Amino acid sequence: MSLIFQLFQQTAVIIVIAYLFSKSPAMDCLSGGRLQRRQWLLLYIVFSSFSILGTYTGLPIQGAIANTRAIGAVLAGLIGGPILGLSVGLTAGLHRFSLGGFTAFSCGVSTTVEGLIGGLVYLYLVRRKKPEQLFHPFVAFSATLIAEVLQMSIILLLARPFGDAVALVKVIAVPMICANSIGAALFISMVRDQKRVRDKVGARFSAKAFSVADRTLGILSRGFSPETAREMAEVIRQETGVGAVAITDREEILAFSGIGDDHHHAGNPVVTKWSRQALRENKVVFVDGYDEHFQCPLSNNCPLGSALVVPLQLDQDVVGTISLYEPKTKLFLNINRSFGEGLATIFSHQLLRSRFEEQKSLLNQSELKLLQAQVNPHFLFNTLNTIMAVVRKDADQARELLLQLSNFFRTNLKREGNLVTLREELAHIGSYLEIEKARFGERLTVDQEIDPMLLDLKIPIFTLQPLIENAIKHGIADLLDQGQIWVRAYRQQGVVVIEVEDNAGSYCKPIDGQGLGMRLVDQRIKNVYGSEFGLTVDCEPQQKTLVQVKLPLRDDK
Amino acid sequence: MIRALIIDDEQHAREELEHLIAETGAFEVLGSCANAIDALRRIRTEKPELLFLDIEMPVLNGFELLAMIEDELMPHVVFVTAYNEHALKAFEEKTLDYLLKPVSPERLLKTVNKVREAIRRGELPRYQVESLRHVPCQFANRIKLVPVADVEYVFSDLTGIHLVTAEGQFFTELTLKVLEERTSLLRCQRQYLVNSEMIDEIRLLDNGLAEIKTRLGNTLPVSRRYLRQLKVHLDL
Repeated sequence: MSLIFQLFQQTAVIIVIAYLFSKSPAMDCLSGGRLQRRQWLLLYIVFSSFSILGTYTGLPIQGAIANTRAIGAVLAGLIGGPILGLSVGLTAGLHRFSLGGFTAFSCGVSTTVEGLIGGLVYLYLVRRKKPEQLFHPFVAFSATLIAEVLQMSIILLLARPFGDAVALVKVIAVPMICANSIGAALFISMVRDQKRVRDKVGARFSAKAFSVADRTLGILSRGFSPETAREMAEVIRQETGVGAVAITDREEILAFSGIGDDHHHAGNPVVTKWSRQALRENKVVFVDGYDEHFQCPLSNNCPLGSALVVPLQLDQDVVGTISLYEPKTKLFLNINRSFGEGLATIFSHQLLRSRFEEQKSLLNQSELKLLQAQVNPHFLFNTLNTIMAVVRKDADQARELLLQLSNFFRTNLKREGNLVTLREELAHIGSYLEIEKARFGERLTVDQEIDPMLLDLKIPIFTLQPLIENAIKHGIADLLDQGQIWVRAYRQQGVVVIEVEDNAGSYCKPIDGQGLGMRLVDQRIKNVYGSEFGLTVDCEPQQKTLVQVKLPLRDDK
Repeated sequence: MIRALIIDDEQHAREELEHLIAETGAFEVLGSCANAIDALRRIRTEKPELLFLDIEMPVLNGFELLAMIEDELMPHVVFVTAYNEHALKAFEEKTLDYLLKPVSPERLLKTVNKVREAIRRGELPRYQVESLRHVPCQFANRIKLVPVADVEYVFSDLTGIHLVTAEGQFFTELTLKVLEERTSLLRCQRQYLVNSEMIDEIRLLDNGLAEIKTRLGNTLPVSRRYLRQLKVHLDL
């Protein structure tokens, strides 16, 4: 009975060493899956040492050694496969053989066989596609149990004189089987726990990273300004739990959140040498708080002790920094360091993206302006020409036309903002149509059917003008006989439909093939209200072109 | 007096120009046309010396009208336009002159002098006309533009010139000569033009004549005179 306790003591020593091992980087090899050469070699050395250690810490008994050698060999096979198991078993077996005694040969053989058994269990579980079972303590326990039973059999089979072998096995069998099996199970359970902890930390870290990215990218997409910087600094500080977060542009602090905000204010110039270095050299600057201390330039009582300054890039230029601070009383976690660096990379990409968006919208605006400028000279000169002719015959009509022309240009020039009421938009195109009616004479008639409920509906500015211009330019002006334009606005299944139809049918292209003006109208509506709204073109060649604008019917009109 | 024709789709514009022209006392206005087809007829019947030609007109613009006029009938041309961009192009076409709408009487006088000078020197108007990609055809109350590639063949009879396409026959104001010169259609007989892309086979007959079988199964006569040209064109 005392033997079993003594063997457990030996096991305990091995377990302690195993614990230390599980904390070391070598542990990474035990993640399961295929081993690289270096990892294989490392495991071979580690488990051979365990096994040999098991022999040395064994207890001499009746000319043999009661030991925990089996743990290393079986686990090597279980974790690294048959070849590793066999190699470790053979190494430890040869070592045992060299120590002599009447069981030297039988123990040498049995240790090798034990390594092989671990390997066979490995093969079995991997082939059954259950590799995660390899790290189950019960599997380790069973494999070692079988291996030890086999060892006893081998001793009985090979050790001579047989009588001594029987006597020995009677004494050591139960203690050794128990100690080795339980030891192996404990070892593997420790490895498994360690693995779980690491996975959990990794998962929590990723979750945090995604959460910060998600919360901040939305803010940053509104642009890089003191306001968005303040929100972002707040989010980063909450998520990382660092002492303070600062965001700067090249000149000044845009936002500061956390410890020390009594003297670190938004609007202060960027003064610390680390921030300046990050801005100047476009590289990450880390002040760890040990070798180098963060020195607050503003206050001697500043609690901040360590800092990470990451430059924010836009294209190739540094546009600002994000700084993470910890107080003197706290360690700057490595996790937060890599986190801050990753965050700055994401932000740099986002900045590039929002600049792209901004330029795209600027381009849209300038296209719109261009469009206004492009259309008007043609229209203006033709109108002036018409008026010159009319003035000879009908001075009143000429005056009326000049008024319409002034109205049209006045509203066109002063129109700003994004939304106008349908009433305003109709008045605007009304002037235009009156002039065109005078120009084309009997060739053009216009009918309007507008649901009066919709007159106060807000619609994007310049929605109707390009449609009307198109109907005139590509429709009526291209028609030899009577031209007709219908302008309608009505509600249909909760959607507002505004449509312009002509009877020319000479411009039959889908919206993508339409002119810039029509495409811009479509794009702007889709941007504001979503892709289910916008323009559709329906055309029967030589019969009609129908352009429909679909808008949401909103309650807040 | 210079015999002039005004072509503009807008009534007010025509009236204004008639008025201004009348004031110069230099022109005899033969008439005003609202579209290119009407203008083409009037040019053939009235044979004007000068066109005041608007560029932007429905279906066929001013340049396209020029491409439809036979060389020997080509009058001098003054473009009248509200568009500056076209004014530049008009200049390249070596038009005699161009006027910008609204037209000022002083500027019109300069044009009068230019036209008189050109006529005095006896210059023949020669404009670099574009080749025709479409053939304008009368179709109900409209003008249908038939792509040259769709034309199978063209023939003339007492009623005029007819285009034959897979969709049917269309009447055109253009002459066979204009079509031969300004499109890729080939003459195969005095009264026939054929689209070489539509030829299925050419059967040679005993007496030096031939027949064309088109892809759509029509048979066209080929005269001795044009068979040779046809062979050259088709690299036979």
